Amino acid sequence: MKVKGFLKDVGGASAVTKRRQAAYDRASAKPAHKDPMGAVAKALHPGLIPLTVESVRPASKTAKTIRFTSEAHLPYFRAGQFLTLVIERDGYRVTRPYSISSAPYETRGEHPCVEITVRRPKEGGFIANYLYDEVRAGDTFLGEVGLGEFHYEALRDARHVVAAAGGSGITPFVSMAKEIKNGREDFDLTILYGSVSEDDIVLREELEAAACDRVHVVHVLSGDNPGWTGEKGFLNRDIIKKYSAEDTTYFVCGPQVMYDFVQKELEALSVPKRRVRFEVFGQVRDITAFAGYPQEKKDDTYRLRVRIGVSETEIPARASEPIAVALERAGLKIHTACRSGSCGFCRIKVLSGKYFVCPQNDGRRGADRDFHYVHACSTYPLGDMTVKVNI
Amino acid sequence: MEDRKHFRDSYDAVVIGGALAGLASALTLANKGKKVLVLEQHNLPGGVATSFVRGGVEIEATLHEMMSIGPKECPLKIRNFFDEMGVDIEWLRVPDAYRFVDDVSGVNVLVHPGTHGNFETPAKEIASACDDADGSVYRRVLELLQLCSRVYDSVNILSVTHMSKPAMLLKHPDFVKTAGYSAKDVIDTFHLPKKAVDILSAYWIYVGDTLENLPFTIWAVLMADYLGYGSYVPKKFSHEMALKMAERAIAMGAQMEFGVRVDKILVKDGHVAGVRLANGEEVRTRYVVCSAYPDKAYTQMIEPASAVPEGAIKFVNAKTVGLTCFSVVLLLDGSPEELGIRDYSTFYAPKGMDLKKIFDECGTDGPYNYITSICTNLANPGCTPEGTCIYSITALPKPEGWMGVTEENYEELKRKNAEYFIDMESKRLGVNLRDHILEIVIETPVTISHYTGAYRGSVYGYMHTMDDHIVARLQMSEKENYIPGLAFAGAHQISGDGMGPAVTNGRKGAKIILDQMAEEERSGRKA
Repeated sequence: MKVKGFLKDVGGASAVTKRRQAAYDRASAKPAHKDPMGAVAKALHPGLIPLTVESVRPASKTAKTIRFTSEAHLPYFRAGQFLTLVIERDGYRVTRPYSISSAPYETRGEHPCVEITVRRPKEGGFIANYLYDEVRAGDTFLGEVGLGEFHYEALRDARHVVAAAGGSGITPFVSMAKEIKNGREDFDLTILYGSVSEDDIVLREELEAAACDRVHVVHVLSGDNPGWTGEKGFLNRDIIKKYSAEDTTYFVCGPQVMYDFVQKELEALSVPKRRVRFEVFGQVRDITAFAGYPQEKKDDTYRLRVRIGVSETEIPARASEPIAVALERAGLKIHTACRSGSCGFCRIKVLSGKYFVCPQNDGRRGADRDFHYVHACSTYPLGDMTVKVNI
Repeated sequence: MEDRKHFRDSYDAVVIGGALAGLASALTLANKGKKVLVLEQHNLPGGVATSFVRGGVEIEATLHEMMSIGPKECPLKIRNFFDEMGVDIEWLRVPDAYRFVDDVSGVNVLVHPGTHGNFETPAKEIASACDDADGSVYRRVLELLQLCSRVYDSVNILSVTHMSKPAMLLKHPDFVKTAGYSAKDVIDTFHLPKKAVDILSAYWIYVGDTLENLPFTIWAVLMADYLGYGSYVPKKFSHEMALKMAERAIAMGAQMEFGVRVDKILVKDGHVAGVRLANGEEVRTRYVVCSAYPDKAYTQMIEPASAVPEGAIKFVNAKTVGLTCFSVVLLLDGSPEELGIRDYSTFYAPKGMDLKKIFDECGTDGPYNYITSICTNLANPGCTPEGTCIYSITALPKPEGWMGVTEENYEELKRKNAEYFIDMESKRLGVNLRDHILEIVIETPVTISHYTGAYRGSVYGYMHTMDDHIVARLQMSEKENYIPGLAFAGAHQISGDGMGPAVTNGRKGAKIILDQMAEEERSGRKA
């Protein structure tokens, strides 16, 4: 190759070394750690924080709103997100996700708070009953505030949003409505809220207070309600179409039957997939109803060996319940949040044994499948198993 | 709640951080029969080398292309390391090097990598975008790339071999002779047209400062590796690489714990004595490989703080924290063909290749006018459901630009930049991306910080500059192990940023520890 002038210089390596040494010599010897990105990350995602019940008030004849304050910093979450509550009862330590019904702006100012709204449970569910019946002002919990992907995204969604809500599925939309009214979210929201009767409408006052030129609330009653002059029936394609703009994004939150129904109606309207957002389902009620679940095992209880660090313990695990529930029943720590196989907080490793993953809540990564990493909240034992959980 | 025993009484070494560098350290140490504990604060291995699932679809989080892999029949050093360790990754070859588009000069050219260290293809393609009637541009570009290649070969040898200066000069003359110079100094001697230099500069932002202040050595390594051998991606995203490294380390006897944060590195009698976890538990070890930035380790983690020598503080204060990342990751509702996306990787300078201006802009909170776009599916067909594809748009800001971020302005900063990128790319591609977004994830310095704890959300360690030259780093490295028993692994180490260099850095961290262990054994001071 042609010899360039500078290539005759072989002292370059020493020169850069001297230069580097000089930079050290010039540098201050005082620690100068400064990390605002880290501070913001911590403020937005503080993990578990203490939450104190400030008040419990009715949200309908069959629902209550629980307001929490915190001695810690409340993160500025996105309207539509949920919080996860750690509930310790009778030696169990369980977590449950609840959509936040208050608005993000309420975490600011002089009296920061977050609220969830819970409905009287129709059946069993001792945690749900406990929250509804027994929680009082002054009670304390641990909770993680501001999780999930169910929020408006200006770059993805249409400016006009139609929310299809059923039952307590109204909560994330109340948060959105309040935030819009407060000028902190920038989209038009029409809430189609399906209830059986007027008595079932949750957070009606909050909804009315949030109504404005950008927020419209349409109650749709399905029961026999003499004197009701508003919309009647289910959230079918006609009603959805009536309140849609030319370009609309649909957010859906409610019970499973409503999801299935609304999904079909939206398909019938040829709404493109990118315009439909479903909130995650939560733990399925009945895993045995899913295709592929081995029915003959549904009543079995297996031995679950649990490796925690270098220790191991053995607990029972029912075939009809997710591994996360078995761990919680045994009082073992498992970090869960969405309970829908989606957030991945409860990722654990299966060291041996067969299992079934709920197809509706299967958020595993491809390589995780290959190496038997599963999400404990959506994985069911089909035999004796050994798993490794986080410390 | 529990008083179960989580850890052994002691470990030969504790690796703080289960990202690529930490995992490479763990593999190296475990392979030598050491009892290793890896502690990762997140619930996944890999750090930014990971994926996420949105709307039921797995999406690559950060990887553009992996360097130093090379084809099976011509393996480069990272592929060799993985083979040696038994980490079996399904690599897919990235079809092109990059498209380079400059709206000011009008250059729009697709560059392919050569094979087996042959640079004729990229040289030809680069020259074809310039006026090159007599073929002289081609010849000069080829010469420059071949010089890069020789420097690259030398770096690979010298980073693992000790050699006297005369021997080095004899066997590695190009390396020695170019070592003192910036990329610009060396490129200038080839008298290339500006267009050719611009095209050749495309990767520049991946390694550091502007060409005037960027060591030629590091630029040469990058060019030779990418343009001479091509790049690769794992079939199941970078999570496959991270997970297979982690699984292999476990198979070799390492204990790996996720969701465990280390708060303190304990020093006693001038030597590492253990670590303390966020939950207060203490783990005994005389050796720690730390993936946290030295900035954080030396000022926040060492206990007692008095165990940190003044030199260590000057060391971190002398350095410039490297680039962070702002990335918009989209899942689109069309295949690349349907959307008219033809290239895997594109470097785009809508306002021209004025590197100083671009780099100054990187020091603000945006918007940025030098971006890299990646369409994952074009290297990894079928990685998302039919009729969809992953498209990411990335800029690499300096941490300085984001020092004013707050909880309140964060969303606005995110959206401002993401919107700018999406509109900019829509215009270039001739398709309105906004009409096709199934999922969008916006990754920022805050996101990086949240998931990895990296200081200032930086992914690039310390900037390669003429004041912190890779050759000087190599020459001075032995004096920079300030606390006996403590080594580092991460982009902040000698080889700098990138997923390939991360692995090299991790191996180096392990080697420092292994050497100290051997020395301790020799001198019979083993505790």
